[in-house]
Amino acid sequence: MSACGVLTLLVLGPVILSLVAIATPAVSQTPATPKSGGVLNAMQREDLPQGFNTHETGTISSVWPVMPCFNNLVLFDPAKKVESVDSIIPELAEKWSWQDNYRNLVFLLRKNVKWHDGQPFTSKDVKYTFDVVREAKDAPAKLRTSPRKDWYANVENIEAPDPHTVIFHLKRPQPALLLMLASGYSPVYPAHVPLAELRTRCVGTGPFKLKEWKRGEYVEYVKNPDYFVKGRPYLDGIRYVVIVERGTKYAALQAGRLDVAFPGESTKTVVDQVKAAVPKMVVDVVSQNVNDNLLMNVTKPPFNNVKIRRAISMAIDRGAYIKAVHQGGAVVGASMQPKPYGVWGLVDKDLQALPGYGKPAEEKEKAKKAMAELGYSSSNPLKTEMATRAIAIYVDFASFVINELKQIGVEASLKQIETAQWHAFATRREYGLGANLTGIGVDDPDANFYENYACTSPRNYTGYCDEQVGKMFDTQSQELDPKKRYALVAQIQKKLEEEAARPMMGWRLDYFAQWPHVKGLVPHHNLYNYGRMQDVWLDK
Amino acid sequence: MADIKVASETGLDVVAVTGRAPARAGAWTVIRRFCAKQPLGAVGGGIMLVMLLTAIFAEPLSTHDPIATDAANTLARPGADHWLGSDHLGRDIYSRIVHGARVSLIVGVLSTLAGSVLGGIIGLLSAYFGGKSDLITQRVLDILQGLPLLVLALVMSAALGPSVQNVVIAISVPIIPRAARVIRASVLTIREMQYVEAARALGIRHLRIAFRHVLPNTMGPFIVLATAQLGSAILTEAALSFLGLGVPEPYPSWGRMLSVSAAEYAQKAPWLVLFPGVAISLAVFGSNLLGDALRDTLDPRLRGT
Repeated sequence: MSACGVLTLLVLGPVILSLVAIATPAVSQTPATPKSGGVLNAMQREDLPQGFNTHETGTISSVWPVMPCFNNLVLFDPAKKVESVDSIIPELAEKWSWQDNYRNLVFLLRKNVKWHDGQPFTSKDVKYTFDVVREAKDAPAKLRTSPRKDWYANVENIEAPDPHTVIFHLKRPQPALLLMLASGYSPVYPAHVPLAELRTRCVGTGPFKLKEWKRGEYVEYVKNPDYFVKGRPYLDGIRYVVIVERGTKYAALQAGRLDVAFPGESTKTVVDQVKAAVPKMVVDVVSQNVNDNLLMNVTKPPFNNVKIRRAISMAIDRGAYIKAVHQGGAVVGASMQPKPYGVWGLVDKDLQALPGYGKPAEEKEKAKKAMAELGYSSSNPLKTEMATRAIAIYVDFASFVINELKQIGVEASLKQIETAQWHAFATRREYGLGANLTGIGVDDPDANFYENYACTSPRNYTGYCDEQVGKMFDTQSQELDPKKRYALVAQIQKKLEEEAARPMMGWRLDYFAQWPHVKGLVPHHNLYNYGRMQDVWLDK
Repeated sequence: MADIKVASETGLDVVAVTGRAPARAGAWTVIRRFCAKQPLGAVGGGIMLVMLLTAIFAEPLSTHDPIATDAANTLARPGADHWLGSDHLGRDIYSRIVHGARVSLIVGVLSTLAGSVLGGIIGLLSAYFGGKSDLITQRVLDILQGLPLLVLALVMSAALGPSVQNVVIAISVPIIPRAARVIRASVLTIREMQYVEAARALGIRHLRIAFRHVLPNTMGPFIVLATAQLGSAILTEAALSFLGLGVPEPYPSWGRMLSVSAAEYAQKAPWLVLFPGVAISLAVFGSNLLGDALRDTLDPRLRGT
């Protein structure tokens, strides 16, 4: 070989090798032809709190293992990580259209769809479901609680003119309604099965039929042979194995006893350890659309005083919080999921201008001064109680905040509440301060604001209620121009943070882990909407 | 040693001697003799003394505020700034262990005292009066004793909620039947002794006989029991805290320092579980060694073995 040839080889060799190295994973990631068969073993972090009755629940612990049993009218495309109006695909509705300037939403339903018990699916089932969820006056049944009834507060009535057509008549235009119907929180229920039965068994139209639910141990599904999508599902079954203890469940994943993790359960630290042990484990970093928020009971002194609330919000160093409590596995944001994971997050400049989001030392000084003006200091502290769920992630959150507040003259003692009692406890507002996590079913302001800040919502744990802000919710909700709507939503977020209605500590990231032989399971920037499992298959 | 023996054999009149004579003979002499005869017990006593001093002087001994978080120093390795490292929230492990000694000792001593005293009184009265009341009391104690200490403490703690006083109650209740049984056994022997009969013949009231003449002679077994239960109480507190039912966060407790969060980071930062684990082991080891040595010293049947 000539000197020139050697030189060329020396220069180009590494380049070629690098290109091959870069190209190799792409080749291996080329989607293979899906194979049918096999049982997916999925992680389940706790037993199903409300059985299969998704509309009564507010936790991913129910939504994730129940989604394969049901269908929605429409759903966020399971294959697309980012959810938006453009990623909505049909499910029980074959087609839909907005009419009368977003006042009427018409769905044309699929024909020949059957419930798992053989009964035909009709428009009656759709009307029944959403009348029950929105607690309509003439609803034929009543849920124990309907956490998302305010999602549908703008629905005037639901009409079922024929067995395959449903029309949602709205009081005012609300384009976001379609997004809320696409959430994992919006399955269609069978009108012929009593609601109480759905707490113990599942009758859906979904790709999988319930085989057995052994409480505290597992939920087992088998393929629905009559599923309306031909050739789906690929899997013969799914088994959700309940393992509560974190070390044990990740040991099971690491050992191959489980194929996939549970959404939102994998922290950076845990996954780093799993990845070190099993380098081929596939890890997707996605946003959970779940925020850590500080509850302050605004219906009672002292937190009915906006100055105290604002001082408390200013005292907490968000960056330090994320670094310490999440080991960096979260991002700072206001009341909507921050960019780039979400559509509605504030830009950095706006965010940093809000109380508590500026330079930590300066913010803390301002907080101290504000508390001193109110007569509180470290020698004469404001004594209160910080309530939280008796779970490590909540307790870490509370411990961090307690220490931050101590520095501005607030002395909080920690009160731990059992998980089963937590939501009822928060709803009854039996607390002063609270460390809480809130998941937003859909990355849309309507889903968040009406559920967590509307005066009448059962999930408005703080009791924050401002008529003017309520009007702002309605205004943004019916705004059809996306840019104008974004500006209105930004304004609301600023207002909520300035009034410390529910100060945000951070938005959690999920380090979703799955074995490479699991195909077609794409984690979204939202926990709640990708559990259908219809397109998941095993490459074994 | 001889004084104690005389006290247990002659009862009432010599009890006073038991309290006074050794002190006058020289506490150092007693300690030296104890160390010579029970070297392991002396080691246990030393550990417990260090623990006691640590608990008393926790403030000056600690280098950091035990609940202060420090995001810039999370999971710091043991070094000059953090002698035993820091946890995932940046809290200093050494300072938390020092303050944790206070919690462990307070909970351990209070629950042991409460359980032993209450159990002792029940055992005393049950054995002294005998008859049906003894029968009923013993069956109730059978039921309580049928439940393992940790299980009963768990149930109590879950029902009462996590707080220091509730943990003390939760741990002391399972100690009651054990204490009652030991004291009852002693009292059954003592109540048949002549000086008790003499006291009865003189018309002294039953409660006075029980508390003034019988109870002091059960002090030997009582001390042994209390010391033996101390280690068990410390361990139970750690177990309850580990399970989230003990002393609430953010105040440090050795058991809680080992719990979920620490387990999550254990591979990355083993000092999170190593040092609290060593502290618990030493405390339990120390109290058990001391308890065994005291039993050997105070129980005439085991003396010299």
